[in-house]
Amino acid sequence: MAACQVKFMPESRTIEVEEGTSLVKAASQAGIYIKSGCGAKGSCGACRVIVLSGEPEVRGTGKLTPEDIARGVRLSCQTFVHGDVTVEVPPESRLQEHQVLMEDVQKGGLLQETEQDLLDKFSLHPLATKVRVKLSEPTLTENASDWARLQLELRRILAAGVKGVDIPLSVLQTLPEALRQAQWDVAVTLTEGEDKYTVVRVEKGNDRPPYGLAIDIGTTTVVVYLVDLSNGRVIDKQGTYNKQAKFGDDVISRIVYAVDAPGNLQEIQRAVIDTINGLTEQILSRQKLEPADLGAAVVAGNTTMTQLFLGVDPRYVRLEPYIPTMNGVPPLKAQEIGLKMVSEGLVHCFPSVASYVGGDIVSGTMVTDMANGEEIVLFIDIGTNGEIVLGNQDWLVSCACSAGPCFEGGGILFGMRAMPGAIERVYIDPDSLDVSFKVIGRILPVGICGSGLVDALAKLREAGIIDRAGNFQMEHPSHSERLRLTPDDKEFVLAWAHQAGGDKDVVITENDVKNLIRAKGAIYAGIRSLLTMVAVDVDMISRIVIAGGFGNYLNVHDSVEIGLLPDVPAERYEFIGNSSVKGARLALLSQNAWHEAAELGKKMTYIELSVGTTFMDEFVSALFLPHTDLSLFPSVVS
Amino acid sequence: MGLTGLEIYKQLPKKNCGECGTPTCLAFAMALAAGKGALDSCPYVSDAARDALASASAPPIKSIKFGNGSVLGDETVLFRHDKTFYHPTTVLVQVSDTLNDTDLVAKVEQINDLEFDRVGLHYGVDGIAVLEESGDPTRFAQAVKVVADHTEKSLLLLSDNVAALQAAAPAVAAKKPLLGNAAEGNYEAVVALAKELALPVILKANGLDALNDLVEKAQALGYKEFVLDPGSRKPVETLANLTQLRRLAIKKKYRPFGYPVVAFTSKNEPMDEIAEASIYVTKYASAIVLKADEKGFLLPLLTLRANIYTDPQKPIQVEPTLHSVGDVNPESPVYVTTNFSLTYYSVEGEVEASKIPSYILPIDTDGTSVLTAYAAGKYEPEKIADALLNSGVADKVGHKNVIIPGYVAVISGKLQEKSGWKVIVGPRESSGIVSFARSLSNG
Amino acid sequence: MPVTLVKERFPSKVGEVILGATSEQGGTRTSTVVVGGDNLLPFLHFEGKVVNRPVIAMEVTDIVPPWNEAIKAQFGDVLDNPAAWAQKCVNEFGADLIYLKLIGADPEGFNRSPEDCARVVKEVLAAVGVPLVVVGCENAEKDNEVLAAVAEAGAGENLLLGLAEQDNYKSITAAAMVHKHNVIARSPLDINICKQLNILINEMGLPLNRIVIDPMIGGLGFGIEYAYSIMERARLGALANDKMLSMPMICTVGYEANRSKEANASAEEFPGWGDLAQRGVLWETLTATALLQAGASILLMRNPEAVKLVQRNIADLVDAEVGA
Repeated sequence: MAACQVKFMPESRTIEVEEGTSLVKAASQAGIYIKSGCGAKGSCGACRVIVLSGEPEVRGTGKLTPEDIARGVRLSCQTFVHGDVTVEVPPESRLQEHQVLMEDVQKGGLLQETEQDLLDKFSLHPLATKVRVKLSEPTLTENASDWARLQLELRRILAAGVKGVDIPLSVLQTLPEALRQAQWDVAVTLTEGEDKYTVVRVEKGNDRPPYGLAIDIGTTTVVVYLVDLSNGRVIDKQGTYNKQAKFGDDVISRIVYAVDAPGNLQEIQRAVIDTINGLTEQILSRQKLEPADLGAAVVAGNTTMTQLFLGVDPRYVRLEPYIPTMNGVPPLKAQEIGLKMVSEGLVHCFPSVASYVGGDIVSGTMVTDMANGEEIVLFIDIGTNGEIVLGNQDWLVSCACSAGPCFEGGGILFGMRAMPGAIERVYIDPDSLDVSFKVIGRILPVGICGSGLVDALAKLREAGIIDRAGNFQMEHPSHSERLRLTPDDKEFVLAWAHQAGGDKDVVITENDVKNLIRAKGAIYAGIRSLLTMVAVDVDMISRIVIAGGFGNYLNVHDSVEIGLLPDVPAERYEFIGNSSVKGARLALLSQNAWHEAAELGKKMTYIELSVGTTFMDEFVSALFLPHTDLSLFPSVVS
Repeated sequence: MGLTGLEIYKQLPKKNCGECGTPTCLAFAMALAAGKGALDSCPYVSDAARDALASASAPPIKSIKFGNGSVLGDETVLFRHDKTFYHPTTVLVQVSDTLNDTDLVAKVEQINDLEFDRVGLHYGVDGIAVLEESGDPTRFAQAVKVVADHTEKSLLLLSDNVAALQAAAPAVAAKKPLLGNAAEGNYEAVVALAKELALPVILKANGLDALNDLVEKAQALGYKEFVLDPGSRKPVETLANLTQLRRLAIKKKYRPFGYPVVAFTSKNEPMDEIAEASIYVTKYASAIVLKADEKGFLLPLLTLRANIYTDPQKPIQVEPTLHSVGDVNPESPVYVTTNFSLTYYSVEGEVEASKIPSYILPIDTDGTSVLTAYAAGKYEPEKIADALLNSGVADKVGHKNVIIPGYVAVISGKLQEKSGWKVIVGPRESSGIVSFARSLSNG
Repeated sequence: MPVTLVKERFPSKVGEVILGATSEQGGTRTSTVVVGGDNLLPFLHFEGKVVNRPVIAMEVTDIVPPWNEAIKAQFGDVLDNPAAWAQKCVNEFGADLIYLKLIGADPEGFNRSPEDCARVVKEVLAAVGVPLVVVGCENAEKDNEVLAAVAEAGAGENLLLGLAEQDNYKSITAAAMVHKHNVIARSPLDINICKQLNILINEMGLPLNRIVIDPMIGGLGFGIEYAYSIMERARLGALANDKMLSMPMICTVGYEANRSKEANASAEEFPGWGDLAQRGVLWETLTATALLQAGASILLMRNPEAVKLVQRNIADLVDAEVGA
């Protein structure tokens, strides 16, 4: 096969690929990641690129218009290299570095992320520790073996008691030189399990702390925290898109891809591990650390993400009766899975509850501390799926409802994640329909994120632009130009092109509105179904804890106004942001927390909403603003 | 109302050991509350908890079995939307012992033939009520014998005369007939007979107060296989009585009325009688005794019974067969959707609004929407390809283009490959169908 | 020992809707019909008063309908004359209302103009004294024109106009508001959508006592149980003071029952199903009587023989002495 040169613009990055390679694959080899919503099937249109020169083979054009095609736009998954080409990858087609914006705290009566640390409660007792050991030099009479001498000293320092202290072969192989080069003054990193310590690294004596990684594998984004295990401090954090996104946006398309052909499962497993390793490398280089400094990691992800991370066939997660392969797995060695850490370091995965309530929720539940008091707490994680947990110290029930990716910007024409350029607040003048908005990063808007969408929906309704069913009211008395009919849809202009970062008006369409209503309806219906099934009234709930990545803050007022969240006093709400990674940090730092997580996983009762008609009935009832049963939203109606 | 899952959970050991087969004690408790699973599958439940739960979970209406598989009672709700009605009204057609044996046999055979096949279901009349109208116990016994010899259906032996029942019942006791009536004047003897032969028996009194007294007295005889007849023979009164008996049993757990109820029609003209019986099918009769005995009368009534006793917890579904909208022709487009009624009817409505005669093929997804079905692997290309093939649509249209919902655009390649049809990706929402269909027909 | 009965004390009742208007009320009807108003579950006299009995509106179409012969024969030679047909329904068969379907407006069929349709309505109004239910041809765009014309032509007559649906409720609601008529709000087999539609119509400004719910029933054997349960839930909702479900319900009994094979196939075709004369009439009758038990207020019926049976069934349930 001939080799062809592919040049990517505007980077001017050129790579050589084999003839017949798709553009999306070539780009990925060049380190440029292109979006795909459909798993490279040519149906979603997210991966468009512009061919500037060359004649690549086009196998499909999907929804591209003749105008698009005429100006060189191609679907990169359906376009294959046969000879040299130059391709421009426009910004909207790129998977971009996701920004963790938790520090950018907003003001103004909105609920901000709480930063309460439960570590005091659990007590610091990390999954990996590091000790400084100074051995005396062996002599002809003090002639115990290297390991015997080290082990004896470790037992003493660690006060190991009945616990054993082990050393795996790979560390043993490095031991004689390590001890001697360090002149018998070494720093030893150990992991601690139920019945023993294991030496994972022996290095020249130093007093640097042991480090660990708290990892949240989200379907959309992956977040890694670097944690100082000696004091619990988060040293650094980094988030990015899950590289599995190129196989599809949601867990279902990932599963479909993973089982579609031999080798796919390994490929998709590789993608997430590459994502984590990429983040780890960035953090390590910033902090001037090396992989061997990382002694332990805790991973929290939904059930599918966990199975894919472990390379376990996920197909039965998807098929009725929705059975996961396992709930918990014993800790595994970093080298088994290929994480950039000390190779004998341990990776702990949070246990799952069921196919659609995973370790991320167990982790979040631990962070809410709901299982340690009498008061009833409702925990809602709003992501691609909405997961809901309800209960107290005596009982916990959970369920999942398929909300879709709206609140993360998916399925919305100008939807985007909470990153610079995203509109996060919207104000609409009810008379003139003039719009003002607030954009993350204070730059020109290119789209709208979850919290902006919640806002927009509430304001559209308040201004009478949509009726309670989400239908656009084209005969609005303002006769505003912002409200307009296109061949595709009815839409409302949030930002004119001249005020925007791209070359188009940023709009919200009737279809977007309907998608949002379905998403909020699914979440609210999940809450109601769960309450109904355990016969708990919403007034019996003391706290409602919200987690999720739809923005930097939670606008409780607007969320209630659109019927996303129950109408209870705002002071009962709490917003905890990414609870999954926070729980992973806790587990990393505390054996107690890790044990509690294991218990939580077993204790939580999963309720399958697809059985019976309760959920469907609640869902249809919730497809209205705020709800068909207006008596559930007294503060909105009055 | 029974205990809720949380109430039951409080009585359980909360070990979450999983030995009962459900992962947690609460899941087990919720299954029990839903009437699924048995408390005995928990190896650790305490005796005290067992007693407390057993009495709370006792059925509000006793299940009474008789004849050839007829089950009466064991209902738990007043409205079918609250859960479901479990045991369809047992329909019995009456014959009189005043008929001679030849006529009796002919009539029994006519009743035996009251069986129907429609929409893939088979249903029929459940039993024959033999009425003692001759005043002659010997004749009654003979008539019962003749009926029993000529039918497999369940039997009800109905007489106010103890002697007649005593004469007739023993010979057919093996067929486990229902006996009636035990009333104020004869209940001791009739209940004694029923008890001796281990047969269920109708307690009949005039009005609820009298019925209450009769049940208390009859129960005192140490027997509990009862069916109640509140004696009313006017539709509006029967409706009131059936309603009160059901409400008292379920809402108040009033034990004397915790038995199934039989209704008797009052109308003699069969069309009016069937209209009257429809009231009792919808409102709480566990059994009905009818005079009407022709197919044209019974099919509508039994169809209503089948409808009312379907399980409303199952999502509403449409037949997963080829549907046509408008005056279809070989150029008509072919849409596929799911058999969930809301999904199907929104598609159908929009296709109709497009004014282009079309075919719609709902795929059997157990009544789930497109996305849910796809997520659960119930909307696979293989399955749709099979459905296309089996629908016979290929013989009806002159093209091989099929339109799939936009949400499952990803399956288009595989579907094309498996079915040999050219796959056109339609809009995601049904609301996009009109403009889609028009652009399709113009392009 | 006396048993203490369970008598529900409902906080509210089904809303009352008045149809038709006499000359004092600005119309030309000789009588009006009031539906709804009950504060009890259907026909349970022991817990309240049956205020207004359920009524039967007989179906009349503006073109000769494609019905089966057994039904058509009962009307003789009036099927091509809506006014005479309506008279026959009232005078001979005791219809409480006339249900006039303007099928002739269908653009795919006769495509009659809105003015022609309005004229038919006027003729029928002139021919009978009972109130009218008028619906279009179920083509949304055309119906919006036709019903606007009908609403104007029938101004003052307090008609019941249909159909308002979730995708197309505005123009008919506006017409009803301007000319003071009532509206049928139809929603497909879902109590939530039913309620949503009532809210949308009400928020346009039409009072709740001018809305009648059409739950879009299925006929006997074809999904009647879904409508049955939705209607029971709506009735319970109305009694529990859910104002957005408190409207009386109207059921397309004749249409749904008679579109089935069971109501049309002869005994020769389906020997196992018995005599069509019995079966066909009972198919429509039982569709009606079952839904009466679920709370129907207006039955839209077709077959005079079935109408007779249902009239007697209603009389049995309404007029009897207090039971129990």
